Amino acid sequence: MTLNVCTAVVRIDGLSRRYGAIRALDGVDLTLQRGITGLLGPNGAGKTTLLSILATVAEPDAGRVSVLGLDPRDGAERVEIRRHLGYLPQELGYHRHFTVAAFLDYVAILKEITNRRRRAEEIAKVLAITGLEDRARTRIRALSGGMRQRLGIAQALLGNPKLLILDEPTAGLDPEQRLRFRELLSGLPGDPAIVLSTHQADDIAAICPQVVVLLQGRVHFSGTPAGLAGTADGRVWAAGARDDRAHLSWRGGDGRWRHIGEQPPAGAELVTPTVEDGYLLLSHAAGAR
Amino acid sequence: MTSSFPGAAEPAAGAAWHAGEDLLASYAAGTAGAVADWSVEAHLTTCASCRAALSAHVAPERLAHNRSALLVRVAIGDAGPVRRLLRRCGVPDHVLSLLAATPSLRASWLLSVAAVAAVVAGEAAAVGYGWIPGGGPVTGPPGSAALAPFLLVVPLLVLAGVAAAFLPVFDPAWRLAAAAPFSGFTLLLVRAVAALAAALVPVTGVAFVVPGPGWLPVALLLPSLALSAFALALALVIGPRAAAVATAASWALPALWLAAADVPLLIVAPAAQVACAAVLCACAVLLYLRRDRFELGWVR
Amino acid sequence: MRPEAGERDDAALLRAVARGDEQALAALYDRHAGWLTVRLARRCALPDVVDHAVQDTFLAVWRGAGSYRGGGDVAAFIWGIGIRRLIDAIRREDSPRRLRWRAAEPETVVSAEDQVLAGLEHGRLGQALAGLSPELRGAIEATVLDGLTCAEAAILLGVAEGTVKSRCHRARVALRAALAGQQAGPGTTAYHHEAWETS
Repeated sequence: MTLNVCTAVVRIDGLSRRYGAIRALDGVDLTLQRGITGLLGPNGAGKTTLLSILATVAEPDAGRVSVLGLDPRDGAERVEIRRHLGYLPQELGYHRHFTVAAFLDYVAILKEITNRRRRAEEIAKVLAITGLEDRARTRIRALSGGMRQRLGIAQALLGNPKLLILDEPTAGLDPEQRLRFRELLSGLPGDPAIVLSTHQADDIAAICPQVVVLLQGRVHFSGTPAGLAGTADGRVWAAGARDDRAHLSWRGGDGRWRHIGEQPPAGAELVTPTVEDGYLLLSHAAGAR
Repeated sequence: MTSSFPGAAEPAAGAAWHAGEDLLASYAAGTAGAVADWSVEAHLTTCASCRAALSAHVAPERLAHNRSALLVRVAIGDAGPVRRLLRRCGVPDHVLSLLAATPSLRASWLLSVAAVAAVVAGEAAAVGYGWIPGGGPVTGPPGSAALAPFLLVVPLLVLAGVAAAFLPVFDPAWRLAAAAPFSGFTLLLVRAVAALAAALVPVTGVAFVVPGPGWLPVALLLPSLALSAFALALALVIGPRAAAVATAASWALPALWLAAADVPLLIVAPAAQVACAAVLCACAVLLYLRRDRFELGWVR
Repeated sequence: MRPEAGERDDAALLRAVARGDEQALAALYDRHAGWLTVRLARRCALPDVVDHAVQDTFLAVWRGAGSYRGGGDVAAFIWGIGIRRLIDAIRREDSPRRLRWRAAEPETVVSAEDQVLAGLEHGRLGQALAGLSPELRGAIEATVLDGLTCAEAAILLGVAEGTVKSRCHRARVALRAALAGQQAGPGTTAYHHEAWETS
């Protein structure tokens, strides 16, 4: 049973998963390459479900999944996948009375680092990467939100994972914290493959060379951010006033109105679309269906 | 530690002998020869500046690496006397760290259990010993009616401790455990056994105080074990939350019914003990058989 | 005039460590870990084991700083902990390629000046010691210089405890003979040859 990360890191075929009457994922086909991939979609689109299936926490109802060349349906391969995984769930809860070091010690044991010294060395390493060395003895309940997020990344990095799965890692962070988070992600040692989910398009534009748009349990786009922006080519305008015929229309910070739609409003000029424009257009189209 | 050799010559009076840079370098490299080594070492014990000079011959990354690992181990700490005692008894250190994350092993939890048990036992004792008048007809041994609340509550306290060991709501980081290679079954077992043992201590102690048959403390053991095993086995089938509720009901309902019929002690009578033993065995077998397919994810 | 934090002497740092001051421990580490690492490495060829011993030493200092009674050098206190932590680390290490003790022969020549000074330090005793075989020297060094018990020395040297005892005895005999100015008698030579053969 060997890992194969030379080719695609994740391969998904016809994945489906439902919770009661709700179809969280509906026939998802996807291939993820090495590097950083962003999973973009609104709340309820199925991002968390998809990521928890990749993290072997949830089981699909139908379809085939291959993570790092292994099949999570097989018990032994599932454990092997977990050995190379780093997972940051959405809204990770912490044992609040734990100190930072004690919590990381706990997670390191869960990752089968049974030797006490090796654990200490791993913890020292991830504390250095995430800049939390001075906080090793701080209790988690005393940490700020940004630091707690860094702690979440630190625990995911324990054990040199080959695949990092981060569910909404930038939620609740202010712009400066998001910037530092992006810097952190781009400089990780060991160069793991990273999949992160977000509902903010500018996170994608800033860090992810690959993006997948997930809407209502289906993949609506898979490619580069430039490609996503390109799907809105010729459909984004800036004008001085509102236009009701446009699909979407809002007032930007510079006072001008931005429209996404098929017909240009009067007096509008065509502008280069951004990633967000592409995403909004796709969401609108999916919603209309 | 360092002893002076018989006949060793003292350094020339007034001269401050320091190890030269070359000598330190060859000492660090192991090429200085035995006599020079010993001279340097004897000197190091008393000379801070030569010690500092010697430090320069260690790779800074190595020093930094050991320093940060040291500070992490200091930060993790050694925990309290209980942990040290358990370590000396041979419990592996990583198991102890896992247990530290169990809510039903924390002092606050155990104190609450002890408090509830004490209240219930106190009430039973007060009525049983006649300090306060008890109501209703009494059949069977005197004071047995007073035992009904005690018999109802106390095994449920033990069950609560075990349930807290596996219910996801009690483990804020359960998703991390679910996605981790460490065997979920081992984790569950370790926590449940520890919670069981910890809960049985105050419960059994209190059972000695309560008026009633002398075998009462022992009689509570099998029902507690059976309830715990039942809850775990049931959780494999219907999920943790439903299992906890169903198991609690499976004890509470008979206990209440027997209390209403004024024969509360029947629930720990020999026939009931045999039934508990049978349940315990069946559940243990079931747990053992399904241990490899056990997933902490619980997501159906 | 109050001394600055950077100039606290070792004893003050130890007292601070006993009170739970983590910065003081870090300061003690910065001052002493370097020479401790080198000195332990002279007794054990495995860098991992030496690293573990160094970490364990300062961890023991953290926990046991209260047991330092203020008499004697802090460096000696640390060394006493360190050598014993090294022995523990060696005992835990179950790899067969365990250790060497000091290099038997010097490869480079120390400066003449240092040699003279070193000779002055120990004089005839130094020459007598240099004349011992490495095995005997190692045994004497562990028991006398490092102050270990025979059991501890046995672990450090990787031999049986009885071997340590007999080597110490033979070494002492040889030293006495050398110091008394006698030619190495046939008995002594026989001991030396035995030592080489059994090594």
